[in-house]
Amino acid sequence: METTVGQLGALYAIWLREVKRALRDRGQLVGGLSRPILWVILLGIGLNPYFRGEVYGETRFVIPYTYLQFIFPAVIVLNILYTSVQSAVSVIWDREFGFLREILVSPMPRPLILFGKVLGGATVAMVHGSLVLALARFADVSLVWSDVLYGLGLMFLLSFAMTCFGVIIANHIRSFEGFGVFSNAVILPLYFTSSSVFPLDPALTRAQALVVYPEWLVTLVQINPLTYAVDALRGTFIHFHQFPPMLGPIIIAAMAVGFFIVAMLNFRRS
Amino acid sequence: MHGVDSVRPASGKISDAIVRVKGLSKRYGRTLALDDVSLEIRPNELFALLGPNGAGKTTLIHILCTILAPDSGAVALAGFDVVKQPRMARRHLGVVFQEPSVDDRLTVFENLNFHGLIYQVPAATRRKRIDELLALVELEDWRHALVRSLSSGMKRRVEIARALIHDSAVLILDEPTTGLDAQSRERIWAYLMRLRKERALTIIVTTHYIEEVEGCDRICVIDRGHILAIDTPASLKAAHGRELIRAVPDDTTVADAIRASYPAAMAGSDGTIVIEANGDVAAEAFLKKFGGRVRRLSIDSPSLESVFLSLTGRELRDQPAGKRERTYAFGRRGGEHTK
Repeated sequence: METTVGQLGALYAIWLREVKRALRDRGQLVGGLSRPILWVILLGIGLNPYFRGEVYGETRFVIPYTYLQFIFPAVIVLNILYTSVQSAVSVIWDREFGFLREILVSPMPRPLILFGKVLGGATVAMVHGSLVLALARFADVSLVWSDVLYGLGLMFLLSFAMTCFGVIIANHIRSFEGFGVFSNAVILPLYFTSSSVFPLDPALTRAQALVVYPEWLVTLVQINPLTYAVDALRGTFIHFHQFPPMLGPIIIAAMAVGFFIVAMLNFRRS
Repeated sequence: MHGVDSVRPASGKISDAIVRVKGLSKRYGRTLALDDVSLEIRPNELFALLGPNGAGKTTLIHILCTILAPDSGAVALAGFDVVKQPRMARRHLGVVFQEPSVDDRLTVFENLNFHGLIYQVPAATRRKRIDELLALVELEDWRHALVRSLSSGMKRRVEIARALIHDSAVLILDEPTTGLDAQSRERIWAYLMRLRKERALTIIVTTHYIEEVEGCDRICVIDRGHILAIDTPASLKAAHGRELIRAVPDDTTVADAIRASYPAAMAGSDGTIVIEANGDVAAEAFLKKFGGRVRRLSIDSPSLESVFLSLTGRELRDQPAGKRERTYAFGRRGGEHTK
């Protein structure tokens, strides 16, 4: 009975359920489509002309890219962030509406249940993230196949990490209402301090950066792990890094492993 | 058919007991939900747990289902200890919980197939059993309907079908008929009776509808965490059944007078006074004394109702919905944030 094939089948069942539920939820799809349009087309095009500084009376771009190009990878992260954390709502849903019991009285080991759920949520989040790629030509970002494939890999890993993060939040929230408020209160600050909408000019030293920005903001940006995720995707899609190129993928992978372990410890207890 | 033949017999007193509960206790805060409960259930038995809300039935069921750990005592299910070998015990267990636990965004088939996959039922067997069980609960036409479009009775039938897709030797149903209309309740019992004929299966069912347990093999009356009696319906009636006089007095003075003459009188629902009366003489004496001063009067012959009354000193009654039920009702009405 205890076969690897059987366990894979069980894992597939849990993954498939998450994906099907997400596909049948129109609201989630609408959010996944409208968010990138709002951020890339409206905010991006609107702020595009102001994304430059003046040095000795000479106009220059802070970084050698337009604002649209600059925020394009960050919007991918934003879409992933929202969808992953939202997919954790299904954890609350299952708990409140009894389906969790159906899974818990099955002979499936607990870690495998969680792994299946997170894989499902991560798949949906990655797909939502890749929806942003459809806007690449509006943002003047040229996509190369090899970049896209590597980018999808990073996006999946990030989606996995963020879904685990959502599950950790969901484990501490008792109601649907609470989750909505809490997730916004977590997502937006994380997003804004991830160097997503404004760059820490890499040409400036830390001392110079502190003249431009207050110290607390620079510190927040630097300790936010999402900063490095955004940086990794920027490196992939527009070949621009503010930090050492290897730092991004390493931090994404570390988040995926770390958050999964914490989520599993939480899940076991509940 | 499949079922008990794959189960190792457990060692112990009744060599063929499929469920063995020994000295089980569970405490929630200061309330003792189960107090040193022991019982044994034989293979292929239809076993009913009867008790009012809060009697400890659901606590006992949750421990049997391996989702709640007991404070002390042991439970062996199909020979496996539910605390030490929960995953082995779960393989032989089919559960229908009190609250609905189907995924209403999936179709009937998807719910059943999901269950088959997580219980690792091979593909061919899975397909065959889904067909058989959908036929049993008469839902073939709803195979590809989303579960949210079904009535609560139909959802319950999906859950019963689902609990039998794997090799379950013990089927546990926690209040399967609560909240259903009379017709759906009857149908669910009809399916259970048919199942017993078609497949080797032990069924444990909890209920607080006393009329439902007449057809069971054995009944366990449970109240406040204690087992009061375990026996066949016939023996319970013979041992504890009394003739009961139920009277609704005209006013409180009459009620007080009745209570004064019958100190053992019990309070029934809606102001009814219930008196145990053994034989026609006692009934006649009551009629002579109070016959003209009561609004309503009935004399019940020994029934499970009277068994329950004489064991617990109170009647089984529906209680107002708890917080959780209200939340579900809110969700069903399309309440905010629940979709």
